[in-house]
Amino acid sequence: MPLLTVDAITCGYGDMEVLSEVSATVDQSEIVSVIGPNGAGKSTLMKAVFGLLRPWQGSITFHGREISQLEPYDIVKQGMCYVPQVDNVFTELTVDENLEMGAYTLPERDVAERRDLVFELFPRLKERRGQDAGKMSGGERQMVAMGSALMLNPSLILLDEPSAGLSPKMVDVIFERIVRVNEAGIAILMVEQNARESLRLAHRGYVLANGENRVDGTGEALLNDPEVGRLYLGG
Amino acid sequence: MSEASEEATQAVREHRDELRPGERIRAALQSRAAMVVAIAIVLMLLFILAWVQGVGIERIASLTAWGIMLGGIIALGAIGLTLIYGVVKFPNFSHGAMVTLGAYIAFAVVSAMPGQSAGLGPFSFGWDLVLGLLVAMPLVGLVALALDRVVYRRLRRQHSPLVLFAMASLAMAFFLRSMIYLIWGSDFHFYYMGRPNPALHLPLGIRVQADQVFILGLAVVLVIATYLLLERTRMGKAMRATANNPELAQIRGINTERVIAWTWIMSGALAAAGGVMYGLMSQLRPEMGFFLLLPMFAAVIMGTIGNPRGALVGAMIVGIAQQLSSAFINPAYGPAVAFVLLVIALLLRPQGLFAR
Repeated sequence: MPLLTVDAITCGYGDMEVLSEVSATVDQSEIVSVIGPNGAGKSTLMKAVFGLLRPWQGSITFHGREISQLEPYDIVKQGMCYVPQVDNVFTELTVDENLEMGAYTLPERDVAERRDLVFELFPRLKERRGQDAGKMSGGERQMVAMGSALMLNPSLILLDEPSAGLSPKMVDVIFERIVRVNEAGIAILMVEQNARESLRLAHRGYVLANGENRVDGTGEALLNDPEVGRLYLGG
Repeated sequence: MSEASEEATQAVREHRDELRPGERIRAALQSRAAMVVAIAIVLMLLFILAWVQGVGIERIASLTAWGIMLGGIIALGAIGLTLIYGVVKFPNFSHGAMVTLGAYIAFAVVSAMPGQSAGLGPFSFGWDLVLGLLVAMPLVGLVALALDRVVYRRLRRQHSPLVLFAMASLAMAFFLRSMIYLIWGSDFHFYYMGRPNPALHLPLGIRVQADQVFILGLAVVLVIATYLLLERTRMGKAMRATANNPELAQIRGINTERVIAWTWIMSGALAAAGGVMYGLMSQLRPEMGFFLLLPMFAAVIMGTIGNPRGALVGAMIVGIAQQLSSAFINPAYGPAVAFVLLVIALLLRPQGLFAR
């Protein structure tokens, strides 16, 4: 049984339909990348999975449990974390406090131990632990955001455009960390503009267009698919 | 993406050099330094006016000390007001009524006690007022929570515009005040009738009553407790996180409705404490909190709305300015001084002293 199953969900904002009958699955310890043109509904899919948006139809199961009617703070307790594309750190809180808020649903005594694990992955954060997250660079903020999500030791992390707005060097660093997080057994569902790069590190990928499933397959198969290449990877 | 943003930064940089002198002067006037200077000038003006009117230096020193005490009372209200603005995102116009309610609940407790207890040590009040304070704080906190559950939560769920929240809180202010009129009438009340409270003589010729020292001490304790709660406890950090970015707070697993509930309880309790102190310092009347509303808002806006530390600083400035002005104008005009400070803040730097 897959870790996460999105089964034919339809949803949108107000009366505007953004996703129509989109399906996807994520297995344990798998990296799944969702690509597609702007406005395809990639971020909307993430929000729907995380309970920030109620699906109009369809079901979402996580660890075999229906979660489509749960609030985000309940979904977090099931072991899923979400890193939004923008505004993904508490700018007026320090790095330490950001990480502590990431572990809000954990008992207080476990916080320090989890934080040490996050510092191992992102040594930079340890150096700057007392600093306000709002005063950090884009790449460092992304580390704070990913670190906060890791505090809970989730089984699945949703990453919305982790490389957006970063320098090419920082993009490499972040992608490398994503692989390391995954090697620790954490499944990752990510949405990326940087489609070619993200398919390279993904086990499987989905192509969304106009709010519908278009193509899916292993990362490699999608990279080598001539039509996907022409339409969605820029030739 | 990064290229585009670099271009934009470049454009801004070039544009900055092209600023006309007028714009540059305007930018300088709106800086934090300009606001500090403006506030300092107002305070200096008040000192000088008092001096010119022949008010003795000792009285000026005493007025300043009373101003700090009044600032403490205003701060207890203003901190709650600014927290509610930060976490629940609307200006709570019923905050003054909560101050009044706190004062009257303590009055009810004192009146219900058989006979009036003797003064504690040098103070004019006895343990029954302390008991009244301990009853009023949680009770007003619960009233604030109940109002949120009945009125504001409903508005929140419907994603109502800010103006509806503000109007609803104004309505609640009138509602609470009417209840106070109904229960306790429109007469003035005192916690204790005809209790002497001689002034203490402190160094520098400062004369203050023991009660006033108590009021300041209690305000300091409550402000420090609030600070520790916000900085050290998990709920306090969750409050700051929710104020900073409510959507991310939910994403991180924070139950923001619970955070909002605790914020109301805290702000109600602080308002009640402020009310009891205000009642002890003057007298109880149904309008007392309403007249504190303007100074509280002035303090909140001066110190950057949503920032508790700013509210404290703002409250001290307003408190001192109000008391100093009473040296040469009718004390009933005190709120006018707060109003002048509010206008200066809004004109020079609406985002306040502590804006980032």
